[in-house]
Amino acid sequence: MQYDFQLEGQALIATLRGELDLHTSPEFKDTLTKLFETHSTLKHLIMNVKGLTFIDSSGLGVILGRYRVIQERGGRLFFVQANPQIKRILQMSGFQKISEFANSTEDVLERV
Amino acid sequence: MKTANWIKLEIPSDTRNVAFARTAVALFASQLDWTLDELEDIKVAVSEAVSNSVIHGYSLQEGVVIVEARYEGPELSISIEDFGQGIADIEQAQEVGFTSIPEERMGLGFTFMHEYMDQVLVASEVGKGTKVTMVKRVKDVES
Ligand SMILES: Nc1ncnc2c1ncn2[C@@H]1O[C@H](COP(=O)(O)OP(=O)(O)OP(=O)(O)O)[C@@H](O)[C@H]1O
Ligand SMILES: [Mg+2]
Repeated sequence: MQYDFQLEGQALIATLRGELDLHTSPEFKDTLTKLFETHSTLKHLIMNVKGLTFIDSSGLGVILGRYRVIQERGGRLFFVQANPQIKRILQMSGFQKISEFANSTEDVLERV
Repeated sequence: MKTANWIKLEIPSDTRNVAFARTAVALFASQLDWTLDELEDIKVAVSEAVSNSVIHGYSLQEGVVIVEARYEGPELSISIEDFGQGIADIEQAQEVGFTSIPEERMGLGFTFMHEYMDQVLVASEVGKGTKVTMVKRVKDVES
């Protein structure tokens, strides 16, 4: 699992590569949590999941957990370039109600 | 022609072994004729069951998880067994969104197993452990 973060104004872009599961999600969760804590102006989370090859409930739980902060700050949650499998599991988990799909981070940055 | 085969893995309840287990089972399962999506489904189901043994069965402490997979003809059967704390209410545990750790988890593991596999059976006894058995059949492409 590899990831990096990029700050764009009020948006945080998280780019993921590899598999987000029980083993890899705690570290990702801590980093994400800290970024939202230290940058109080952050509102939106853009998950670039093009390179994400696997996710299960442990990984989804981490993203959902951050949604509370995003909501408190009036922000939005985006998934960029989700493959069909990731889209399917996101939909099954009710993420379609709280997030939006996009084709590129540029698209999202224009929208927020 | 031989149409049956099986594997059995005995692994410590280390979080790293969740990826190992799902990949190993998917590799074994690929001896049957699945679509790529179906193989991903199998991976998710195994990942959920093994994660549950590690998190809930053993509370992230040491323990042994036994993963077995076998097929006969088009029917693949996978079981994940732990000897951990067990489940008091098996039906409630499988309800969508039920979790004993609501601060952290979504309670969707069993939901994914049911969604991605044709059949899911849970046997559990408090203080003894849990065995989840899941079945998935290769769909007949002609029909
Ligand atoms: N192997 C197990 N041993 C003991 N309890 C279990 C086991 N598997 C599941 N459970 C119980 O069943 C509940 C529901 O499991 P499920 O996988 O659906 O959700 P979760 O693990 O709590 O959350 P998520 O899977 O979304 O991260 C768990 O919270 C736990 O109480
Ligand atoms: Mg679970």
